[in-house]
Amino acid sequence: MKLKDQFRFIRQNMKKNKMRVFMTILASAMSVAFLIVLASVAFGLHDTVIKDTIESPEVTQIEVAGKDAGNGNAESLTNQNITEIEALEGVNAVTRAKQVKQETRYVTDGYEIYSQTFQSHFPSMKNAGIELKEGSFPETKDEVAVGYHFALNLMKDDVDPEEVEYGEDGQLLPEYRFTGDIIGQTFDLEFKRMEDGEEITETVPVTVTGVLEQPGREWYWDQNVYITDEKLAELEGITGTSKAMLTDPGEAEEDTGYDTATVYADDLEAVKSVMTSLEDQGYYVYSIVSEMGQINTLFNIAKAGLIFIGTIAILIASIGIFNTMTMAVTERAPDIGIMKAIGASPKVIKRIFLLESTYIGLIGAIIGIAVSYIISIGVNLALPMILETVFEEELPAGLQFSSIPFTLVLIAVVICLGVTMLSGLRPAKRATEIDVLKAMRREV
Amino acid sequence: MIEINQLSHQFVLGKKGQQSRLDVLKNISLHVAQGGIVSIVGRSGSGKSTLLNLISGFIRPTEGEIVILDEKVSEFTEEEFAEFRLKNMGFIFQSFQLIPSMTAYENIELPLILKGMSEQARKQMTLEMMKTVGLENFKDHYPSELSGGQQQRVSIARALVLEPPLILADEPTGSLDSETEADLLAFIKKLNKERGITFVIITHDDEVAKIGDRTIEIADGELVRNGVFA
Ligand SMILES: Nc1ncnc2c1ncn2[C@@H]1O[C@H](COP(=O)(O)OP(=O)(O)OP(=O)(O)O)[C@@H](O)[C@H]1O
Ligand SMILES: [Mg+2]
Repeated sequence: MKLKDQFRFIRQNMKKNKMRVFMTILASAMSVAFLIVLASVAFGLHDTVIKDTIESPEVTQIEVAGKDAGNGNAESLTNQNITEIEALEGVNAVTRAKQVKQETRYVTDGYEIYSQTFQSHFPSMKNAGIELKEGSFPETKDEVAVGYHFALNLMKDDVDPEEVEYGEDGQLLPEYRFTGDIIGQTFDLEFKRMEDGEEITETVPVTVTGVLEQPGREWYWDQNVYITDEKLAELEGITGTSKAMLTDPGEAEEDTGYDTATVYADDLEAVKSVMTSLEDQGYYVYSIVSEMGQINTLFNIAKAGLIFIGTIAILIASIGIFNTMTMAVTERAPDIGIMKAIGASPKVIKRIFLLESTYIGLIGAIIGIAVSYIISIGVNLALPMILETVFEEELPAGLQFSSIPFTLVLIAVVICLGVTMLSGLRPAKRATEIDVLKAMRREV
Repeated sequence: MIEINQLSHQFVLGKKGQQSRLDVLKNISLHVAQGGIVSIVGRSGSGKSTLLNLISGFIRPTEGEIVILDEKVSEFTEEEFAEFRLKNMGFIFQSFQLIPSMTAYENIELPLILKGMSEQARKQMTLEMMKTVGLENFKDHYPSELSGGQQQRVSIARALVLEPPLILADEPTGSLDSETEADLLAFIKKLNKERGITFVIITHDDEVAKIGDRTIEIADGELVRNGVFA
């Protein structure tokens, strides 16, 4: 018997009980849509997180916290380490900083601010592609760059810090702070040195030449001042301690290592290999790429769990298919008996019923997939709007709640067809076992 | 054509645990030559239908063997028997056994579909067969829209459409009036003469039995007459 004729049979049979077949298809369509929509949330959020990570500028950055000193302790990086790292394949630049180990105050006529001071290596920042919001990177000894929030927190020195007010953006109101052009502004850098147990205040001049961009993370606050190595050397010369530490020069420990170092890889692909070679050489490294593995595992578990729950829904729908097929076999038993008598082979009869249950499952799956896409698009459009009105908060752009990749469709189709075929197996086998004589006597 | 050797059949009766056995056919040996018409007669309950069902493969013998066209059909699997039936046997039943949801045309076409024939060949053969049985004007009638005689002609057309060498009929005239019966008998004779088709016909009716060149009588499951009808 030809496959085409088998399908004609199936369609004729299905037409005989349209309502029942329709309800069965509806049930399997609903269960498939349930599975896909449920799992699509895990797929959507996973995509969003991955995209967020990959598109963030930090994705090519590797933080180097130190180097294994051989005894399990970490050592901070030296200039020689930096040269080594810069020579590695795939490394674009290595930015590094030493922190001045005391509180520093910056004063200009009528304004003051307490800030952390870092010595930075500006050429490598330039190479790393770090851009300034305004001005240019410092070049000579007295020039400095300041963080994005420096000027915003440069307070008038005649106001009581307890009484200042902040605007809605969390920044000082303009009437309490500096509002002029910060570029070219000259400050007194105030710091202290120890001499025979006494703290003595010293000042050196600095001029702002550049303001850094706002940090990538919104919650990150940058009101630091970035100085040149020559400037740090000047401070160290005055205090007589490394990194201008506030101790007696005689008691000071030698500490010339970098407090932070960030490797900028050429691109995302290079990050992995650079990470590996750094780790091999005993550096302690961190990158958000290394977190991605964990994120992936987490989401894959979530996906598997949701698909499993969806599969239960399909299993429930398969009871309907089982029922429909059992009834179809019972109703058609006399016809099957006649066909067997004429010479229809049991194999063909079994195949016809299996095809019929699979066909029902397939139509259900196709409708279910179509519905899932509609729901998914609807959710992605509506949910952000709802959340934004309810929580009155803007959601990050590009947030995707639901995504239906082809693999998910494939998984759902395979599960649905597998389950429907299984549920059609028993009725199909019953059809082949129909006794010709009993069927012709209408006894079944 | 048909070779039956020491065939016995028992039915198992009753509920599990308290079963009894009923000997329906006892040690039957029989030879049916090609091209003949054999009628089987006997009292009700003597085992005629059982014998025919064994030949058809609808039930399997308890003992003995059946050879048809040199094939030991009693040892066939279900699958093999189905294929063999489609190729070599046509059936005419007392109650016609047409599929009610199919038209006369579709019922006749069914064996051709099962055989896997192309649509074009099917159409030609079916229409020709309908003409042969005189039903060319009843193509789209459902069995419920046909008279008993017309239904029987549809079932004969279905049995003949693949031109099998053997046709088995269990009381084919049982539901027909005497005039229609006469038509049918004439038709059977004609098919036998023109196409050389072998017929095995069960009947209660002497008129029917007369068309056979040989009559077999069964009584209580045993062959009591196995010869040419006098
Ligand atoms: N499926 C069955 N199970 C048990 N016993 C059966 C079965 N079919 C037939 N019999 C018994 O076998 C015997 C022979 O039955 P069979 O149908 O062969 O008779 P028959 O000669 O065709 O009778 P009739 O002329 O009335 O059709 C009967 O006693 C009947 O009760
Ligand atoms: Mg009988």
